[in-house]
Amino acid sequence: MSQEHEHGLPPKSSVSRWFLTTNHKDIGVLYLITALFFLVFGGVLALLFRLELISSGADLLGSMGYNQAVSTHGLLMVFWFISPFAFGFANYIVPLQIGADDLAFPRLNALSYWLYLFSGILMGVSFFQGTTFAGGWTMYAPLNTPAYIPGEGLGATSVVLALIMFTAAVTLGSVNFLTTMYRMRAEGLRMRDIPIFSLSINLTVWMMLFAFAALLAALMILASDHILGTTYFQYSIDGTTMATDADNPGASLLWAHLFWFFGHPEVYIVFFPALGVMAECFQTFTGRRLVGRKWFIISMVLVALQSFVVWMHHMFLTGINLPIKTIFMATTIGISLPFDLMVFSLIYTMAKGRVRFTTPFLFSLGALILFIIGGITGVFLGAIVLDYQFRGTYWVVAHFHYVMVAGATALFGGLYYWYPKITGKMYNETLGKIQFGVYFLGFNLLYFPMFIAWETPRRVFVYPDGLQIWHSMATAGGFILGASFLIMFYNLFMSLWRGEDVGPNPWEYATSAEWAVSSPPPLENFPGVPSYATGKLEFLDDETVTERTERAPGAAAHGHAATDGGTATDGGAVTARAAATATAMEPAHETAGEEHASHASFWPFLVSLGGFIAFLGLSGVRTGSVFYLSLAAVGGVATFGSLVGMTREPFHAPEMAIAERWPFERVEKMKLGMWTFLASDIVLFGAFIGSYAFVRVAYGWTAWHHDLIPAEHVTMPGLINTYLLLTSSFLVVLAMVAAERESKRGTVAALVGTFALGVGFLINKGLEWQHLFHISTEAFPNGWGLSTNIASSTFYLTTGLHGAHVTIGLIICAYMTIRAWNGAYQGDDRAIEYFGLYWHFVDIVWLFLFPLFYIL
Amino acid sequence: MAVSLITYATVVFPLHGGDVRAPSAVFDQIFEVFLLLGTAVGVVVVAYTMYHALKYRDDGAGTDPYADKVERPEMGEMPTGGAGGRKVFYSFSISAIIVVSLIAWTYSQLLYIEQGPDLAQEEALEIDVEGYRFGWDFVYPNGHTTNTLYVPQDRVVRLQVTATDVFHNFGIPELRVKTDAVPGQYTSAWFTANETGTYAAKCYELCGSGHSLMTTDVVVMPQDEYEEWYAETNETDAGGNETATAAETDQRITAEATALGGAPA
Repeated sequence: MSQEHEHGLPPKSSVSRWFLTTNHKDIGVLYLITALFFLVFGGVLALLFRLELISSGADLLGSMGYNQAVSTHGLLMVFWFISPFAFGFANYIVPLQIGADDLAFPRLNALSYWLYLFSGILMGVSFFQGTTFAGGWTMYAPLNTPAYIPGEGLGATSVVLALIMFTAAVTLGSVNFLTTMYRMRAEGLRMRDIPIFSLSINLTVWMMLFAFAALLAALMILASDHILGTTYFQYSIDGTTMATDADNPGASLLWAHLFWFFGHPEVYIVFFPALGVMAECFQTFTGRRLVGRKWFIISMVLVALQSFVVWMHHMFLTGINLPIKTIFMATTIGISLPFDLMVFSLIYTMAKGRVRFTTPFLFSLGALILFIIGGITGVFLGAIVLDYQFRGTYWVVAHFHYVMVAGATALFGGLYYWYPKITGKMYNETLGKIQFGVYFLGFNLLYFPMFIAWETPRRVFVYPDGLQIWHSMATAGGFILGASFLIMFYNLFMSLWRGEDVGPNPWEYATSAEWAVSSPPPLENFPGVPSYATGKLEFLDDETVTERTERAPGAAAHGHAATDGGTATDGGAVTARAAATATAMEPAHETAGEEHASHASFWPFLVSLGGFIAFLGLSGVRTGSVFYLSLAAVGGVATFGSLVGMTREPFHAPEMAIAERWPFERVEKMKLGMWTFLASDIVLFGAFIGSYAFVRVAYGWTAWHHDLIPAEHVTMPGLINTYLLLTSSFLVVLAMVAAERESKRGTVAALVGTFALGVGFLINKGLEWQHLFHISTEAFPNGWGLSTNIASSTFYLTTGLHGAHVTIGLIICAYMTIRAWNGAYQGDDRAIEYFGLYWHFVDIVWLFLFPLFYIL
Repeated sequence: MAVSLITYATVVFPLHGGDVRAPSAVFDQIFEVFLLLGTAVGVVVVAYTMYHALKYRDDGAGTDPYADKVERPEMGEMPTGGAGGRKVFYSFSISAIIVVSLIAWTYSQLLYIEQGPDLAQEEALEIDVEGYRFGWDFVYPNGHTTNTLYVPQDRVVRLQVTATDVFHNFGIPELRVKTDAVPGQYTSAWFTANETGTYAAKCYELCGSGHSLMTTDVVVMPQDEYEEWYAETNETDAGGNETATAAETDQRITAEATALGGAPA
């Protein structure tokens, strides 16, 4: 494949390609390799503490070492290994399965990857900042706050920041995948018709969009407690210990609610892609279509919805009342039932099949069996009386490893399934089967004894002598499981050179579109525009496409409306700005599949590198160290500069000329991206507002106002700001109207007005804050600052988050004003519309914050 | 009123004589049923899975024994479902009935565990439990505080549990009582011990370097012995003569950890 043909992208043998690429297949490969690296990282930590557990006592790692190892093992496996591993496949396979040439926003996709990689590096760096996080992967409060972290605790802060960075990557990815799947399906492919793996990814990203927004809120609050000194998760603010009459009695439970509201959907976020892989492998290697496919899909949708109403089953012992316990018991049992259906669907798919025990099928079948055991032992936990006693024991550990690692098992099957597609080579099947044998043995030897030794409390290194035999067995199993990966790595690595070349489809009965193209597929994926209009996959040639797009004016309009696509940047905040760089009209042939899509950009890497440096700096700013302060400053400037560079870079990611777009035919992709981003932003603010309400109710709704808020905190500044924002929203509408009427002066004037009102908002807020910081009254002799009490913390942080949104909006507004001055947007107000969506949203949020923080 | 109650409690122990169903008995019964059924269901379903996988195994001869009965998927076809959905539903219904009836059966037991026994004339012994890094304070009705939990045999003991620093969880595994110890909140739990002896109480939520060693003894005494012990605490003080401070406990934990080779920070 010539370099010219790759549109400026260096060949795969060149290192620079991997820094520049925005192609979904390259990024998929990067995800897979990086995730496997984190599997080894998390796995070595697990082996370390399994060694520790050979005998009772912390004679190997020491107690803090042990706590760090178990905590980071959990974080690495859940966040940095299993989901990104699944998303390696999602990146590579989903566009191929649905007939798209790439994701909707290729540079955003690259940005997701680099943020993910750098967040993992930041996680690694935390080990070298004294101690890393040692409070368990669930990070319960207030053990997660600096007051209870030994030493300076900078490593723990880095972990929190790394998680924020990871969450940013996930949110961008969710927006990208959703936009892709709703705007770029092959003609004739309804949502329900897309292959089951892609469907599982679709539901996964929906859950991610909302669940990770809740996690982001929790992490932002925690980071603020670490860095800014707010007191959300400290129940005793002056440092004294007390059991009751605490300053913030809701502190611990607030974290638990936020974390598990994310944490339970996360279980399905991790498991769904694995289920998708299992279903694909079962279909291919049994030569049967998935039995009860419709019900399988409905079950997945039900689980995805219900996953948001089961989180309190992780908190049955926190003192929640019986009616709520009963409801959550019912939803928990309810969510387990669809899985029964899915399991039986997979079992019956084998009936009358031609089952071939290939390596990917062995892993899929193995995963199904492990999942059945994980599911049955989960029902035990659904019975609350049993759950009480299992809480915090190895029963839970064994159960969720049987579920999560069963998921990982299916994903390893996926690796063997798609390896020939990705590399064009076949691996050694015998070695693959040997690995499966060793893996399956090691897995069960590792996790099954944990059921027998279930009375051992979690995360301890001391256990009764009678249980030693089981813990030793588990340790042996862990090493066998680990060794099986050496076989896999050897096999897959050697096969890159020695493996036999494979054609497009090495598997009999594979049906989905990725197998209809060469292995590996060409850069643009398909030989023509894929279509299922006749009920079977076809590739339309350029002539047909041109003919059809010219005949149907609607379709052509779609084509040109989309040309600005690739200029998206960081998930919405800047997407509006990106839209501003849209070029007006594209020549007709560009819409007909002959366009030169861009595939290379260095900016995503630079943005992420800048973000990494900034976050590393932030982890230490509270020490006042010049080193950390300068890192934060340099990183901040680098990130901002790279974002501007990315916005100004011309980048083409044309929308498909012909595609199935239900239900968003009329929402072009930039707008759909903005909508999905704002949907997650709603959950973010919702979680902040919910946190405020929760801690206030825990304190006492009316006493809060009386005890914690100074009389100087008056309504007027908030009221003025409400008017300023409302007026500015109105001006954005005027700017749109002016742009539509092609009045350059009107557009500029309205945008300048918007900008001025927004700045006025910030100045007013700044004055208000300054005043409150420095009041000196009887009740608040030292002012009312961020750390004064829980009311001040909620006030400054929540309205501060809103202020940050206003600031980002103003940067975009300033950029657009300059562009409007230079004559942009005339006759095409879409960019202003997208900015307006964001700005109105920020405005509406304020309409909630104003009464909550100024009136009630 | 409070004083008279305390006096009453110290003088006359209202005991249930072992006829209250202990939480451990409730747990054991449910756990047994679940283990039995869970194992049975697991064996049946896994066997059923393997049966399908092996029965329909491709013989490698290249012929399709079901060629006339089923249609094989083809490259590039629109994804659709295979036949046999009804069987899925039957199997699903059986599993749903098993799961739902099992959980429903445990629900009545949950109500008992939640509310505790309803005994006429029974005054439960109420003890406040405060968790801290890395030990427990037990506060008796007379204000006496200990680090070891002393309770009489055959008496309902109700615990009000909280924590003074981070999130802990108080559990006595053998007596099947467990509840979260959340700073700023109170949770409650009850138990009764029908046999005397020394049991272990443990922390079940990661709370820092000494978490693994945050255990203490629970001593179940014959009623008269307990009566004697409690009367003495009443005479001596209300401040707690054997209370270790948090710092002392910390030292103990550090010493133990060092002995075990650890180095708590």
